[in-house]
Amino acid sequence: MDFAILGAALALTVLGILSIYSSGLTAEGVHVSNEYLKQIVWAVSGLVLLAIVSLVDYQRMKDYSFFIYLFFLAVILYVRFFGHEVNGAKSWIGLFGEFGIQPSEFMKIATILFLAQYLSNSEHLASFRRLLVSFAIILAPVLIIILQSDMGTALVFFPIFLFMAFIAGLDRRYIVFILAAIIGTSALTILPLWEQYILKTPTNFLFILYKAPYVAYMVAAAALILLLSAWGWFSFKKKYYFWIAYAALLVASSLAASAFAHKALKDYQIMRLIVFLDPSIDPRGSGWNILQSITAIGSGGVLGKGFLQGTQSHYRYLPQQSTDFIFSIIAEEWGFIGGFAVFALYYILLRRCSNLLKTAKDSYASYIVAGIMGMIFFHFMINAGMAMGIMPVTGIPLFFLSYGGASLWAIMIAVGLLLGISARRFRT
Amino acid sequence: MNRSSIPERFESSRGSAEGRIRVLSFLCLSLFAIYSTYLLYMQTIRGGEYRNKATKISQQSNVIPSQRGEIYDRSYSVPFVLNTDSFAIDLVPAALPAEMRESVFARLATLLDMPIEDIRKRIPPTYYHLYQPIQILGSAPYATVTSLAERIDEFPGISWHSKPVRNYLETGSLSHVLGYVGDITKDELKLMYNQGYKSGDVIGKAGIEKQYDMSLRGRDGREFRTVDVKGKNIESEQGIIDPPVMGSNIVLTIDDTIQKLAEKALGSRMGSAIVIRPATGEILAMVSYPWYNPNSFSGAGAGDEYARLLADKNNPLLNRAVQSSYPPASTFKAILTTGIIEEKAFPQDKKVLCPGDMSYGDRVFNCWTKRPGHGWLDLKGGLENSCDVYYWTVGRDFLGIERIVSYAKDFGFGKATGIDLPGELEGFVPTPQWKERRFHEKWLGGDTMNLSIGQGDLLVTPLQLADMMAMIVNDGVIYQPHVLKDIRDPSTGAVVQSVPPKEIARSRISRETFETVREDLRGVITEGTAKFPVNTKAVQVAGKTGTAEVGLKDHWHSWFAAFGPYDAADPKDKVVVVVMVEASNPWEWWAPYATNIIFQGMFASQSYDQAVDTLGLRYLVPKQGRVE
Repeated sequence: MDFAILGAALALTVLGILSIYSSGLTAEGVHVSNEYLKQIVWAVSGLVLLAIVSLVDYQRMKDYSFFIYLFFLAVILYVRFFGHEVNGAKSWIGLFGEFGIQPSEFMKIATILFLAQYLSNSEHLASFRRLLVSFAIILAPVLIIILQSDMGTALVFFPIFLFMAFIAGLDRRYIVFILAAIIGTSALTILPLWEQYILKTPTNFLFILYKAPYVAYMVAAAALILLLSAWGWFSFKKKYYFWIAYAALLVASSLAASAFAHKALKDYQIMRLIVFLDPSIDPRGSGWNILQSITAIGSGGVLGKGFLQGTQSHYRYLPQQSTDFIFSIIAEEWGFIGGFAVFALYYILLRRCSNLLKTAKDSYASYIVAGIMGMIFFHFMINAGMAMGIMPVTGIPLFFLSYGGASLWAIMIAVGLLLGISARRFRT
Repeated sequence: MNRSSIPERFESSRGSAEGRIRVLSFLCLSLFAIYSTYLLYMQTIRGGEYRNKATKISQQSNVIPSQRGEIYDRSYSVPFVLNTDSFAIDLVPAALPAEMRESVFARLATLLDMPIEDIRKRIPPTYYHLYQPIQILGSAPYATVTSLAERIDEFPGISWHSKPVRNYLETGSLSHVLGYVGDITKDELKLMYNQGYKSGDVIGKAGIEKQYDMSLRGRDGREFRTVDVKGKNIESEQGIIDPPVMGSNIVLTIDDTIQKLAEKALGSRMGSAIVIRPATGEILAMVSYPWYNPNSFSGAGAGDEYARLLADKNNPLLNRAVQSSYPPASTFKAILTTGIIEEKAFPQDKKVLCPGDMSYGDRVFNCWTKRPGHGWLDLKGGLENSCDVYYWTVGRDFLGIERIVSYAKDFGFGKATGIDLPGELEGFVPTPQWKERRFHEKWLGGDTMNLSIGQGDLLVTPLQLADMMAMIVNDGVIYQPHVLKDIRDPSTGAVVQSVPPKEIARSRISRETFETVREDLRGVITEGTAKFPVNTKAVQVAGKTGTAEVGLKDHWHSWFAAFGPYDAADPKDKVVVVVMVEASNPWEWWAPYATNIIFQGMFASQSYDQAVDTLGLRYLVPKQGRVE
C-alpha cells in the first residue's frame, strides 16, 4: 500500500473542503452556500469507493473493461440528448436531485481501463495498428463530449492517450505526430481570433488557413503531397519521402481538425481559449475571470490573507470560486505557502505514480497508472495554470479541491486503482 | 521478486521502459518547478501591485440601455410605435438578509401590486446567494419608483433602472405588420448569441419588430465606475462612458389613411385586404382580421393574454395576408386567360357552349349558374362571366396541365414573395408528378379541370394574388413587395437606408397579351360578374372575382383582385387591391364591395363613411365608428 499517495489525496481533499467552505461566505460573514456540506458527503462516499476499488483485484477488471467502456459511452450519449445544461455544457444527469452528476468524468476512468486492456493484449501487434485502434478508443468519447460542447473534458483524453501510448512503447514518431497535430490544431483554431484581437492588423495571407473554401484547398494540396510522397516512399524506399509524407499528413489533419473545431466551437469558447494570451482584450467578458483570479492570487502574498479573510473571493469578484477557480482562493487566503503546498502534494502524487510505473507487476497495471498519471498531470497543469493566467480557460476542475461530486468520485476511484496496483505489486 | 508472469515483450523492452518513465518523471518535475517559481513570482515580486488592485479599487460596469427605434407611416408624420418611460425593478438576492426576506417580499408585493408568488417564482431559493441583480418587474411606472425611493431603507437589495416599454399607438389592424416585442428566450439566445444578443434583452417577436430587430434595437452602452472593494464610488475617479447607440427609426410604406380605409372596408370579417403599388412593390395597406393589441403583451398579465390569443380558434396572431393560403378560385382565370392568349391555345373569338354543366368521366361538373347556363361564350365573355365550362373545356383540352402549371409558376405561385415580414407561406401549385408521388395516383383530366378554375389543391396567399395582378399591370414584371420604406437616423431624421424596387419575376409573355388581359379584366367590371358590386365612378377599376368552395355548405371564400385606374398610362399611378373574406364568416359576398369602397375612398379622397354613402351601399352596412 502506498501511503504517500493516500496521504496526499486526503490532505488535498480536506484542503478542498475548507476552501469550498470559505467560498460560500460573503464579506459580511453570511453563509450563502452549503456546498461544503455536500462536498463532505461526496468525499466520505468517495473514500468508500476508493476502499472498494483498491480491494478489487485490478486483473479481474480486465475482463469487464470493455463493457464498462461501452456502458459509459451509452450514458454520455444519453446525456447528449436528454441531459441538463449547466454553464452552456450539456452533460449533467439529474441524479439525486440537487446532486447533479457529470458522467463524462467516469468516462475518463472507463477509457483508461479499456485502453490499458487493449494495449496489454496487443503487445505482439504492429505499432501502427495499435496506434490506430488506441486512437479510435479515445476518439469515440471525445467526439460525443465535444458534441456536448464540453471542450475541456474532451481535451483530457489526449494526454491520457499520450501517456499510455508512450509507456506502452508505441513508436515515438506516432506519439510526436499526435502531439504536434494537437498543438497545430489548437494554434489554427485560435488563429482567426488571434489575428483579430491580438495582432489587430489582419494579415492578408493567413486567411487561407481558416476561411471556408481555402482550407479545403489547402487540405487537398497537403493530401496530394501526401499521396505523391507515399507513392515515392513505396517505390524508392527513400527515408526522406517518409518525412515529407509525415509533414503533409500533419498539416492536412491539423487543418481539417481546426476546421471542425471552428464548426463545433462557439465564438465565446474560442474567445475563452485566447484571452489568457492577453486578458485585457476582453476585460469585462471572458478576460474578467482571469484578471480577477490573477489579482486574487497575486494579492495573497507569501503568507496569505488568512483563512476566510480573502477579499476578492468574499466580495464576489472571483467567479466560479468553488469549482474552476478554487486554487485562487487557496492562494489568496493561504498565500504562497498554501499554493506551494498544493503543488507539492500534486508532485508527490505524480512522483509516486512514476514509481508505480517501475514496480507494477504487469504491463496492464502500468498502463492504468500511466493513464491516471496523464489525467492528473493535465488537470493540474490546465487548472492551476488557468488560475495563474498562463493557460486557457477550459472549465477543467482541479481534482480533490474543486467542488463537484463526479470529479471527486472519479479521482477517488483512480486513487483506489493506484493503491490496489501498489498493494499487489509483489504478488506472485 | 518473481517476474516470470510478466509478458516477454514488456520484459524485453524494460531497458527502454526505464528511459520512458524517466522522461515522464522529468516532465512532472519541470511542471512542478515552473509553476512554483511562477507562483512565487506572482505573489512576491508582483504581489504589491496586485494587492493594490485588490484592496483599493475595482471597476464595476452598469448598462445604459439604448432606446429602441420608433416606427412611422410612409409620410414620417404619423407615429405607429413609440416608447414610454418605465422602470424595471431589480433585487440583488444576496444583499437581502434571510430574516428580512419574507417581510420584504410581502411589502414589495403590495407596492408593486403583484402576487407574492410571482416574486417568489422570480427569486427561487437557489438564487438566494447570487450577487447579480434579478429583475422582479419589467414595467413599473414612475410613481412606484418614487415611493420605493422614499422608503429605500425598508427594501435592502432593491434597485431599479430605466426600461422604456413599447407603446403601440392606435394601430388597430396594423398589429400584424408591426408585430410585438418580448424578452429573449433561451432558445432564441442560443441562435443569436453571436449577433450580440444577451440574456435579458428585449427583442422583436413578430412582424417588423422581428424583421428589423437589428436596426431597431441599437446597442446598449456601459458606464464603468471605479469603486472600492465594498462597492462605494471613488469620487476622484471619473466614470468612463461607452455611450449607447440609439435604435434607428423605421418608416413604413404603409399609408395610414389607406390602412384605416381598408381596415373599415373589411370590417369585422375574418380575412385580409392588401393595397400595393405594383410599380415599386410598396405595400400601402395590409389588413388581417382579427387582429390583436400588441400593448397587451407588456406589463402584468402579459402571459395570460398571449395564451388566450394562442388558444383563440380564430387565430388572431396570424397575419392572413401572408401567413394563410387559400384556393384562389376564379381569380386564377386571369392566369389561364393570359396563357390561352399567349400560347394561342384556343382562338380568342371562338365560342364554347355553356349549358350550365358538363359531364366528364363519371362525374357531372356544374358551372356556377344553373341550366340553361351562359350559352355561347368567347374568351372575353368567359372571363367576364367567370364561366367554369369555358375554362374547363379550354384548360383541359387545349392549354393542358403542363402549361397551366408553368404559367401559375410564372406568376409567382408556389414561391414566397420574400416580403420583409417573417413567416410568409409559399402556397402550393399541384402537379401531376406531385400527385403521383404523394398519392400514387395518376393525374386525371378532372384534376386539370379543377385546377383550371383555381380549385383543387392550388393554394395562394392574398399577397401572391396581389403580385399576380401586379404582373398583369407591369407587363410581366413583379417587384418584391415590402413594408419598409426607409431607415432613418433617430436624432437627425436623415435617411440611412432606403429600399429600391427589386425585381423578383420577369416573364417573356408579350406586352400585347397583357394589354388584352387588362382589357378583359376591365370587362369584368363593365359587363361581367362585378358590374353591380364595383360601381365606383371615381376610378376605372379592372379585376376578377373569385368564390372558392371549401366544403362548407352555402359558405365560400370570397376574393376580389383588382387594379386601377385602368386608363392611367403610367403604371406608377396604378394600385392593386386584393380583398379576401374567409368562408368561416356568415356568407355575404363581400370582397368586391370592400374593394369598391377602398377604390372610392382612395381616388375620391373620401373617408370610409363618405365612400359608403357616395356608393349607395349604406343599406349593406350600418353606420359605425371604428370596427372592433
